[in-house]
Parts: sequence; C-alpha cells; structure tokens
Amino acid sequence: MLDVSGVSKSFVRGGLLSRQRILAVDQVSFQLDARRPEIFTIIGESGSGKTTLARMILNIETPSSGVVSLEGIDLATIRTRSSRVSFLHKVQPIFQNPFESFNPLKRVERYLFMTQRRLFATAGRLSSEKAVDEAMQKVGLSLKEVSHRFPHELSGGQLQRIAIARALLARPKLIVADEPVSMIDASLRISILNLFKALRDELGISIIYITHDLATAYYISDRIMIMRKGRIVETGDARTVLNAPRHPYTRQLREAVLVPEVASVAENASVGTTHAAKSSAPER
Amino acid sequence: MHARSEPARAVENAEPMLSVRDLRVHYRSSRFGIERDVKAVDDVSFAVRRREIYGLAGESSAGKTTLTKSIAGAVRPPMVFVGGSVDFAFLSGYGGLHRAPPAEVARIRWRHLAYIMQSSMSLLNPVRQLRSTFIDFAYPHIGGSRSQFEQEVVAHLARVQLDPSVLAAYPHQLSGGMRQRAILALATICRPDLLIADEPTSALDVLVQREVLGMIRGIQRETGSSVLLVSHDMGVHALATDRLGIMYAGRLVEEGATPEIFRSPLHPYTRHLISSLPRIGDDAPHEGLESAPPNLADPPSGCRFHPRCPLAREACRRQVPPMQEAAPGRRVACFALETGQRDE
Repeated sequence: MLDVSGVSKSFVRGGLLSRQRILAVDQVSFQLDARRPEIFTIIGESGSGKTTLARMILNIETPSSGVVSLEGIDLATIRTRSSRVSFLHKVQPIFQNPFESFNPLKRVERYLFMTQRRLFATAGRLSSEKAVDEAMQKVGLSLKEVSHRFPHELSGGQLQRIAIARALLARPKLIVADEPVSMIDASLRISILNLFKALRDELGISIIYITHDLATAYYISDRIMIMRKGRIVETGDARTVLNAPRHPYTRQLREAVLVPEVASVAENASVGTTHAAKSSAPER
Repeated sequence: MHARSEPARAVENAEPMLSVRDLRVHYRSSRFGIERDVKAVDDVSFAVRRREIYGLAGESSAGKTTLTKSIAGAVRPPMVFVGGSVDFAFLSGYGGLHRAPPAEVARIRWRHLAYIMQSSMSLLNPVRQLRSTFIDFAYPHIGGSRSQFEQEVVAHLARVQLDPSVLAAYPHQLSGGMRQRAILALATICRPDLLIADEPTSALDVLVQREVLGMIRGIQRETGSSVLLVSHDMGVHALATDRLGIMYAGRLVEEGATPEIFRSPLHPYTRHLISSLPRIGDDAPHEGLESAPPNLADPPSGCRFHPRCPLAREACRRQVPPMQEAAPGRRVACFALETGQRDE
C-alpha cells in the first residue's frame, strides 16, 4: 500500500554567507502491505528525522529525492483538489498535542463536522451527524457526550480520542500518528494505545506510530524502525529488535529506558556514584 | 562564602530541610460575581529530610507544580495561599517564603534555595552569552574577584560535563541537553541547601535524560543538599529519588521510600500508576483507567479518587481518608486498605 523508496530530505539553513545543508532524512525505504494491517513504529530521538519522514508521508513536505507512493500513486503528482481529497481519504494524521489541534474558541464537534463536509461534500446535516456519531462510537465516546463542549472542558485523553474519531471519518487505510500519547497522562495513555490496537484489529487500519518511547512501542508495534540522524539504524519485528537489539545505538537506547521497577532503584546508586567518580573537578 | 555552608552542616539531622504542613493553595477567580475556587493543593503535609532526594509524582492537574511554586514563594494571583505553612531549616517563623521580607528572600535565594522551573531550558536569556547569565545570577551571591568567580564556574561546569567554551555561547547555540545541564549548573553553583526541580528532564531525549538525572544525583551527593524532584514519569522516580510522594487531584495519597513504593504500592491509584506502564519484554495487555482526573473546581466528595477506584465503598464517598502510617516511614490515605488489612 505505502511504498517509501530511497527518500531523502534536506533543508537549507542560514543566510547567504553561511549556508548549511541539513540532511534531515537520508535514503529511507520501507513498505507497508495493504493486506496485512499493522502498527509500524518509527523510533528516534529529536533530530532523527522521524517527524520530517511523517510529514513526507502525509504529503505536507516533498522529498528532495526518492519517491513516496500510496497505492501506486506518487504523492508528488497530487496537484488537483480532487486527487488531494482522495489522498486524504486514504491517509489521516493525528498530532502530538491534542490541546493544540483543536481551536480553543470553537466547540470540539465543529472540527469533526468541518472534516466531514470537506471530505464528503455532503450538505445533509443529519447524515453528517450520523457519521460523526459513528466515528465517536468507534473511539468509545458519543456525539452527545462531547457536543457543545469546548476543548478546555475535556481531558487530553478525551481530546485525543476525538482527534482519532476525526481521522476515522475519512475511513482511512493509514493513520500517521506523531507522538500521539506523549502529552497524555499516564493513567489515560494506555487506553489510547489499546484503541490503536483495536483500530488495527477491528477496522483493518494500518498505523504509523512515531515515538521516542521504547516501552509504548514495544506494547503496540508489529514492526519497528529505529532512526538516527535521518538514517535507518535497525528495522524488523518489534519483539526481536527490542528484546535482542543488534545495533549499538539500539542497545544504548534500550538501556536508557527508565524502568519503573525496583531493580532500577538498586541500580540508581551506581548512577550517582559513577558520575561523582568521573567528575575530576576540584573541591572548593 | 566558605563559611556559609558550615552552619547548615552543624545542625545535621536535627530538623528536616523543608517541612510543609496542611498546605492549601487555591486558584481564585471571580467573574460576573461568581466566585470560583480551584483547590489545586488541598491539605498536603510532608517533609524533605537533609541529604535526600524527595520525589513528587502524579499526573497533570495533580497539583505538583502549584505545590512547588508555593514552596518557592512564587505565590501570585490568582494563586492564593489559603492555609498551612511552609518552613525551611534556613528560614522559619514566616510560614512561607512569600511572607518573608524581600531582604530575607534575597539572602536565601540561590544560596539556600534554588528552583529549577518547568521548561526552564527556555529561560536562559537568548540575547546574552551564558557567561553573562552566570554573572547576573550567581556573582552577587558568591562575590570575590571576577576571575576567581570564572574559575569557580568553569570547575562547576565540569561537574555537569560541559566545556568552558559554552560560557561564550548563546542559548540557541546549545542543544536541549546542554541547556538543561547549564541550568543545573547555574542552580547548583552556590551549593544550595535545597534544590527544587520541577520536571527537569521531561523535555529531553531518553539518552540525555538518564545522564542529567545521574548528574543531579551526583551533585546532590557531592554537595550534601536536599532535592525536591517533581516528575510525572515514574521511571524518573525509580531511578533518582530516595523517597516518593504520590499526588492525586491536589492531595498526597501515598508516601514512602521509593523502593518500597515500587515493590508494594498500597494506594489503588499508585498501584494503577505503576502497573499500567508498558514495559519492554512484557506482552500482557494492560487496562487503562476509565474517565479522567477530576475537575478541581468541583472535586468529588470524600476521597477524590473514588469515582475511578476499583475498591471504592460507601465511606470513600462521604469522608476524606486521612493520611495514616501504614508501616514505619510509609503513609497512605485509603479506607479500603485499612479494612482490607483487618479482614485478612
């Protein structure tokens, strides 16, 4: 379904005299199969190019070289409004901060109705209400519950569910979720992750999950890809890669994960002392 | 400067570095004649001992930041200090830093109490070199000649593994991790007795996060100061803190030694907080809590966790469970636990 082949993206930074080319994404390739819906996770630290890659898949950014194609259509050829709309029917984004994806001055359901009107150009109020309510049901909410509410009246978890409901309106085949749970409280995070699993299993939607968090990646992913400075470091089955990382960088990441367990508490003593030993600074 | 730290060392183990008693802090707003009180911190008591790292955990809107702000004396409307007291080993008798006269506050700041605010990474002055920032903040407290001061700064930067060349850099030339380390160096250069750090590593990448936490611990060991570390991330607490307080909806619900809390969490909320976290190597599905943390303008009656609690009973709806000692050094506010233990 999605074919990313040899994609690179570079940005030019600086003025006339001190030009710098920054290679944000460097020769990245991967494929998603339409017949086998999966959660494909891209892991990387800040500056690894993971968000730039996501923006290219969403056709917000055009690659400097290489081709991103969806169901055989090169995204660079999407020019007309109708081809853009049909692209949006296939791919939908979910962003990091739900409080920023909603207009604080507008009621939340407005965002959904606007999407519905844009995508289907149906004027019928009743039919769009039905569609919005259906999408809400899929994420465990109902239109009645949230209508006439403003974003600040809802929790981050609820808003993120509504953002997912909005994405589902288009009946997409692929959802690109950029750090969808990093702004959400721990007690609500897991239910959003469970929702992603349900979307994959029940609706057959593939999800590209972009994160820096290895633990949540392990929890939901089928395949993962680890990026560093724009390049793919390691890719493969999530369990295999995270349980037995091959690349030193993956290993390093794996070790840096803070585990909420007693085992790491015992270890914390060594963290402090090794540092104290390392610092050779003279005492005052 | 050299004599400064002696008095603090002399009263070792006498009284806690920071004691907070029955603290209540509200956000008060009145619009169209309707008064609204958001009870962000409600009846919180705890103490930070000398030479320990005390962690405060909880979700957003649990009141962690309000609590640290009121401890650091940053009480400004609409925030209202409703009741209770905050006392320090180096300042008592006022009941809170915001009530102390400005001269006292100036004496204490940086030398005794340093406060790393949330997203402090972006607090460095963007149009001044780091050197000037150090001079602005720390020089008045340290004194001596400029070259002596600079030597001291360079030595201190080495503790956070920063090269002296960063002093000539502007904040935008540094990476997030370097900026956070510079902030840490700035906050600790006067060797404060108490360091308050609100989410010091939340904006950092995993690799850098671990490093910075190690540095906080290293500096704390070296200078023998106390640290109040606020974070929503239980992993941070597991790695860095000695004792841990769990906050929920403005109240402290559990407190104890960090390894104890992770080994056997007592409060249902703590239990959920620890068990719901996905881990690498754990393939079991996890259940999330339904509904959201309560609205603090109109909190649930009784125990604030009862609408989401699997063990809720009638008493939880009517009364506020008091913070009680469950084991030596362990306090919990939960009715279910009390009777549960009696039943067994």
